[in-house]
Amino acid sequence: MSVLSQLNVIQVSGLSKCVSTLEGSLTILSDINFSVKSGESIAIVGASGSGKSTLLSLLAGLDVASQGEIHLDGDALSTLDEEARARVRAEKVGFVFQSFMLVQSLTALENVMLPAELAGEHDAKAQALDLLDKVGLSHRLEHYPSQLSGGEQQRVAIARAFIGSPKILFADEPSANLDSKNGHLIENLLFDLNKQNGTTLVLVTHDEQLAKQCQRIIHIEGGQLEKISEGVAANVG
Amino acid sequence: MWVKLAFKLFSREFRRGELTIIFAAIALAVLTVFSLSSITERISLNIEQKSSDFIAADRRLSSNHAFEPELLDNAKQYGLEAAQMLFFDSMLFANDELVLGSVKATTKSYPLRGKVTIKDSLISQAYEVESGPDVGSVWLSEGLFYTLGVKVGDEVELGAGIFSISKVLVSEPDAPFFSLSGNKRVLLSYEDIPATKAVQAGSRVFHRLLFAGTEQEIANYYTWLKPQLKSNQNWEGIKDRQSPLGNNLDRAERFLLLAGLFGIMLAAVAMAVSAKRYCERQYDPVAMMKTLGGSRITIRNIFLLHLSLVTIFSIIAGLAIGFLLQHIGAGYLAQFMGTELPPSGFRPWLLSTFIGVVCALMFSLKPLLDLFDIPPLRVLRRNLGDTLALSRIHIAVSLMTIFVLMWLFSGEIVTTLILFGSTLLVIAILFGISRLFFAAGRRLGLRPGSSWSLAIATLQKRANANAIQLISFALAIKLMLFLVVLKNDMISDWQMQVPEDAPNMFIINIAEQEVAPIKLFFRENDIPHEAFYPVFSGRVDAVNGEEFARRISKQEGEEKDKDARKGVRREPNLTWLDSLPGGNEITEGQWFSDGDELEVSVFDGWKDELDLKLGDTLTILVNEQNFDVKVTSFRSVDWGNLKPNFVMILSPNMAGKVPVTYFSAAQLQDNHTKDISLLLQRYPTISMIDVKSQIEQAQSIISQVTLAIGFVLTIVLVSGALVLVSQVQASLAERMQEVVILRTLGARGRLIKLATLYEFLLLGAISGLVAAMVSDVALLIIQQQLFNIDGRLHPYVWLLGPASGAIFVATIGYIMVAKTMRQNTQGLLRKLS
Repeated sequence: MSVLSQLNVIQVSGLSKCVSTLEGSLTILSDINFSVKSGESIAIVGASGSGKSTLLSLLAGLDVASQGEIHLDGDALSTLDEEARARVRAEKVGFVFQSFMLVQSLTALENVMLPAELAGEHDAKAQALDLLDKVGLSHRLEHYPSQLSGGEQQRVAIARAFIGSPKILFADEPSANLDSKNGHLIENLLFDLNKQNGTTLVLVTHDEQLAKQCQRIIHIEGGQLEKISEGVAANVG
Repeated sequence: MWVKLAFKLFSREFRRGELTIIFAAIALAVLTVFSLSSITERISLNIEQKSSDFIAADRRLSSNHAFEPELLDNAKQYGLEAAQMLFFDSMLFANDELVLGSVKATTKSYPLRGKVTIKDSLISQAYEVESGPDVGSVWLSEGLFYTLGVKVGDEVELGAGIFSISKVLVSEPDAPFFSLSGNKRVLLSYEDIPATKAVQAGSRVFHRLLFAGTEQEIANYYTWLKPQLKSNQNWEGIKDRQSPLGNNLDRAERFLLLAGLFGIMLAAVAMAVSAKRYCERQYDPVAMMKTLGGSRITIRNIFLLHLSLVTIFSIIAGLAIGFLLQHIGAGYLAQFMGTELPPSGFRPWLLSTFIGVVCALMFSLKPLLDLFDIPPLRVLRRNLGDTLALSRIHIAVSLMTIFVLMWLFSGEIVTTLILFGSTLLVIAILFGISRLFFAAGRRLGLRPGSSWSLAIATLQKRANANAIQLISFALAIKLMLFLVVLKNDMISDWQMQVPEDAPNMFIINIAEQEVAPIKLFFRENDIPHEAFYPVFSGRVDAVNGEEFARRISKQEGEEKDKDARKGVRREPNLTWLDSLPGGNEITEGQWFSDGDELEVSVFDGWKDELDLKLGDTLTILVNEQNFDVKVTSFRSVDWGNLKPNFVMILSPNMAGKVPVTYFSAAQLQDNHTKDISLLLQRYPTISMIDVKSQIEQAQSIISQVTLAIGFVLTIVLVSGALVLVSQVQASLAERMQEVVILRTLGARGRLIKLATLYEFLLLGAISGLVAAMVSDVALLIIQQQLFNIDGRLHPYVWLLGPASGAIFVATIGYIMVAKTMRQNTQGLLRKLS
């Protein structure tokens, strides 16, 4: 592996994804190549059905590519089975989803602790308390998801994403389910924590304004990488 | 680390009610099996104990030859209690009166089961004792006191001995139901037999050994005894008797068994539904855990621990509730019957725990495996994994498990197959109906926006889910209908056997010339009575000229051999009749022709035992005279009807060929005592057999069993209702989204509530109708095959099924949807998200 590739926390080369349907094989992504440096923030944008969520699922090892390779912090995902990919996610990856995806039977605190507990970490509670304090929910520790507003649930999800100090954070339309005020709040929180922790952020969105807050923007169109542009944050960073 | 997480998740899921249905289903299975098997076992034990009273022992061995002493000695070595009896007829003499008495000599340990009822004098109160008379004294039945003109304290000559009359013999537990030996009964100490000198070589005597002990002790002894049993020795227990009790006991046991099977089936349906539902609700959390890096092993461990914990808690709860239920039930029964029910053994505990574990494992295995396979990608693609839910393997495993559980519980393959087969039929019919009906609904062209059209549209849209619901509704309704109808039929059948006006006194030894005056006497004194039957004794000596003894092969099965011997030994009481008596049915051949040839109609139970066929000629020895009679028909006989029944009935042209006495039965009230004394004084040669106490005993056992059946039925009905409730609940949760969408779009609450009501009305009615159809057909088979009750269709079931199904399902559905509608739409939306 080259020095350059060692600096790249995500390296995507010749990536394609096809699925078989009743009408035959359908190509969702075709020959995607790009890399992401450690600590960088990138946005993947595109219209609905362009393949951006599929790309996110492949990058996070939730799905496997039909062709090509993804290196995630040095691990070649195509060589790993489901269990090994889960281990990689446990060690290196955090997630924020559009629909929050909190476990309904766990409190806010327990939801944040969950990834650390699954990874067998012993200071899960201390980490979770600190993160919930950072997202401004230290007064909502024992509340269940159904007792929290949408914005609060997404703040819990963000706190959960940062527990265990992951190297990479994947966010799938994190503010799409929220009103504009709460949406902005969540976006700011995400970028602030990202900066503080030096995490690499991969953000999937169809919101151009949000995408611009990232350093680079990957445009996907019809399953192909159309272009890579620079965001506003590129000049700051 | 995962253990802590697993416990945390478990306690939360439990508190949130996510595990409630699965918990309730396992607990239901356990409590049903425990309470049913426990109460069945306790009642069975009690009934068997009570029934053992009828033979005064647990088993008995009879013969017309003396037994080898080692039979008795060995019984004692095997830990059995034993008593020895000898029956013979002997003359009694007192006050210049001479009467032929029927003597039973018993050792002091008689009776081993039940009690002998005696009185200190003719006018004193009767009481029960557990042993026979002392040496030197005799107990005489009431009739003998009148005939001999004696009182307690007097002496009586019996054979060559002189004995003091110490008690009035009121009843013996093992007095025969329909013995024609008269009520001139004498109870004597076994040690006094030599003093009577009545038993000489060649005397007609009958020997009997009584045994009592645990089933194991008896089984051990029988293993030793069996190889040396002789053809003239007959081993029997209460269930071997062709008595009303034997039959009813058998039926009651079968009913309780069926009820238990239904309980298991219902609980299994609840378990299969709830396990699938629970696992489906865990798809998102599992996908999330996998996304967050949870390994398959960790997730598997977490959910297997959940399953183990819920299984343990629910089994404990099921056992506790089951114990409480059976305790209350047994207490109630004991209070009603004025007796304590014997405690049950370990079997109910082990069986119910085992069934709980098997239920939990087998019904949740496939849903759990599906759950472990949920891909993490579901967090992005929300419907991934949903197709896993309806799996043929799950259905096949569930059905197989239900079959094995039923078989395991019942130990009866035929019953299990009938019930299981009819259940599969329900499933097949309902799948067909759900397809046809819901497809037809599309063409109904109902007005858009009406509750009915919404209901039909919902039914069509959810055809698959509805088919599953229909099946579980129909199964629950089928099982409940089945038991209710069977219970009613069985109890009415019993009530017919022992009607309130059943005759309680048998009058025998009536000479031909006495028939007319006795009939007149009955009419004058307003005493209801039965017909007068001619009776004579005869012995079947040969079939088609071949002597009987040679025909009986000792190599034949024990059962066959036993009855064959019984038949030959018995010298059955014979009669001739011109018409087929009630409770009898020709199974082969024709009733008598008007020809000159002597004909006989034989009880069909003897056909195989004696290897008979139509057209065979039997040689019957009556009073040293041989009669050749042709077998022209075989009959089924309802031995349970408490009426005089005959193994062999001869054609009426037998009249005048042999001397006979007549035999009748009457229903006497307490105020007839004086009339009876008068009758006995006027006709001293007739004998009366009081069967009042036997009938009362039979009625008490029947009412005990009826009560037990009612109790068991209640448990099954509650189980069935729970299945219905849990099904409606599960389906309503699935409907929530539609309710919320309709509400959000401004649908009025009334429209939604009515649509749900109609939808459930239709579901309930269809399930009820199919349930009624199938349960009635299955009942027809079960009644004929297992209960020996005349099978018939029950038109009321065809109405009761759909009506009860519609009302019950719709009511629950309406109540639950109305509850949902009380919440505001925003609240519902949040709950849904």
